[in-house]
Order: sequence, then structure tokens, then C-alpha cells
Amino acid sequence: MPLGRALALALLLLIPAVAAAQDARLTERLDTATAASVQQVVDSARRAGLPTEPLVQKALEGGTLGASGERIIAAVEALHGQLGRARDALGGSASDAELTAAAGALRAGLPPAALRRLQSLRTGRPLIVPIAVLTDLVAEGVPAEQATRSVLDLARDGRPDDEFVALRRQVQVQRRGGAGEPMNRPPLRPAADPPVDR
Amino acid sequence: MPADHDDRIEDEVLQRAVSELRRPVRLDPAVDERALVQIRAEATGWPASPNRYRWGAWIAGAAIAAGLLFTVTLRRETEPSTLAGSSATEAPAATGEARPVYLRLDAPASSRVAVVGDFNDWDPAATPLRPAGDDGTWVVELRLKPGRYHYTFLIDGRRWEGDPRQPPAAESDYGAPVSVLTVI
Repeated sequence: MPLGRALALALLLLIPAVAAAQDARLTERLDTATAASVQQVVDSARRAGLPTEPLVQKALEGGTLGASGERIIAAVEALHGQLGRARDALGGSASDAELTAAAGALRAGLPPAALRRLQSLRTGRPLIVPIAVLTDLVAEGVPAEQATRSVLDLARDGRPDDEFVALRRQVQVQRRGGAGEPMNRPPLRPAADPPVDR
Repeated sequence: MPADHDDRIEDEVLQRAVSELRRPVRLDPAVDERALVQIRAEATGWPASPNRYRWGAWIAGAAIAAGLLFTVTLRRETEPSTLAGSSATEAPAATGEARPVYLRLDAPASSRVAVVGDFNDWDPAATPLRPAGDDGTWVVELRLKPGRYHYTFLIDGRRWEGDPRQPPAAESDYGAPVSVLTVI
């Protein structure tokens, strides 16, 4: 089959070329060894069909914040694992943005069952905002079980995204003691390394 | 006699041939497809003989590979930096239009403020804030597609500060305060 052979050749030529390609942002911003390790994780994610851009951004975040190479690699590997667990929870039909949001939710301590339940209640509608709000509520200090119950109630009623956002805002106001009031700020921390001006 | 004999044989052969030609022919269903492939090949200048066609297919494969490789390379260099990601062409976050998002930070007595995050590759030089009045408020307008973004402010090039108006990130991998912004 000539066409089959053509496609096979295309794949043969492409696979090593793509695998060998390095993300220039990594090599420019990280030391060689760290960039290579991160690239391996990124390539692994690509092969697994997971989103790769969040991994690159996690590495760049570490580079800018002055983290050590070991810490950057550990953070990227952890995120890779969370993205994989997010896909296990939501299935292969979830978008990259949904997987990324779900990975953050799992990182915040929410159980995969909560994500699956949310997905079942939002059939055919994007999950990003409900998952984000759920994660934010937990980050604000709301117990995971209570936050999950509130978000699932909204999802069960078929509420639009802005009502989820309104819920989060309402909780923020209540927990911070007034609209527009800043939360308790974390202490200011010096940058580990002064960023390089470009 | 020999001539008569030859005529008789010839007649028999001719009759068999005519009979054969008159017999309905059952064509292989793939014949049409093969013929169309051949016609298309000739119409587009592709070599039509099986051997030459095979070489053409290999060349086509190489061309496809080169084209895809070029696309991948180009994409790596021009890819927008959003959490939604490059390959999320099917995701709402990728199909949604970018919209203006305003960030504000109260940082009196600061000489410069910048924001770094998933939207600018965490580049401290990419997105400076500008002072809004004399009360120490700094502002910047971003254009972001729907999605979820992590970011933090850099004050005077030496200290990090989260956005007090947005939730903190649930995770803090590197110790600095990071905030989360959800664009819908």
C-alpha cells in the first residue's frame, strides 16, 4: 500500500525529530541538566497524551523563583503524576484545560471521586470553572467535603459558570470579613535570586 | 481442404470470441477505485506506473514529514503561554476569545512592580505594572483566554507578593506566594 508506506515513512522521520526537539524556553532559562530532565518529563507526558504546557510553565516558575534544579524536577514530576491521575478520574475526553484544573484540585486534596461526580453532573459542559471554584474554596480554608457538597449542588441544578464564581466570591467575602478586603497576606519573601533583566 | 479446414477453425474461434464478448462481465468492485486513483495520479502529474507510484508515495511521505516537522518547530517558537496549552485545540479554554483582565496591586513606596505567571512564561521583564495615580496603586491590563493561571507579583525586583484579591494557589512548590486567577 503506497499510501500506508508514505505515512509510515512520515512517522519514522517525525518521531525521532520531535523526541529530540528541546523546548527553547527550558534550555534558555534552566541549567542544562535540569532542562534535560524536565524535557524528559515533558516528552513522557506528550507520549501519554497529557498536556505539556503546564509542565513547562511549572519549570519556568521554578526558574524564575530561584528554585534548585532538584526542586524544579520534583515539582514537574509531581505535576505530571497529578495530570495522569486527573485523566484517570475524568477520562480521555477531558480537555487539556480541564485536566490541568483537575490536577490542581487533586493537589489541593480533593478526591478523584468528587471530580467524577462533578463530571457526571455537567455532561456536555466544560468543567474548568466548577473545578477551579472547588479548588479555590479548599485553598480558602473551606473543608473539602463541605466545598464539594456546595459545588455539586450547583452542578446538580445546572447553574451557569458565573454562579460558581459568585459562590467563591461569597465565601471569600465571608471568610475575609468584607468585600474587596484582601485576605491575610502571606509574609513577603525575598526572591531567591534577583531576576535577570532582559 | 486445408483452406476449408482453416476457415472452419477460424469461424469457431470467432464465434467463441463473439460469445465471450457478448457474455456479461462481472467487474471487480475495486476496479472503479483503482481507475480513479490512476486518473487522479495522471491528472496531478504523479507517476502512474506501480513502480513509479511507489517512489512517489515515499517522496510524499518525506514531504509530509518535513511539513509536519516544520509546523511543530514553528509552533514551539510561537506558542502562546497559557495554561490551556497548545494542543488543547478542542478545549473551551483554547477556543474562547482572549478578554481583558485587570490586575491591581497596592504597593506604596515601590519603584517598580511586575507580574510573572503562566501567561508570560514567568518572565520578570515581560509584564510591568504602571502606577495609577499617586496612592501607590499599580495596574496592568492583560488579555487572557479562558483558563486558570498561576501568577505572582515582583516588587522592586527582589520580593514576591501574591495577589490579595485572588485565591492563593493550593500548592506552593517553590515557597513564594502564588495566586490563582480563573478567567471565564
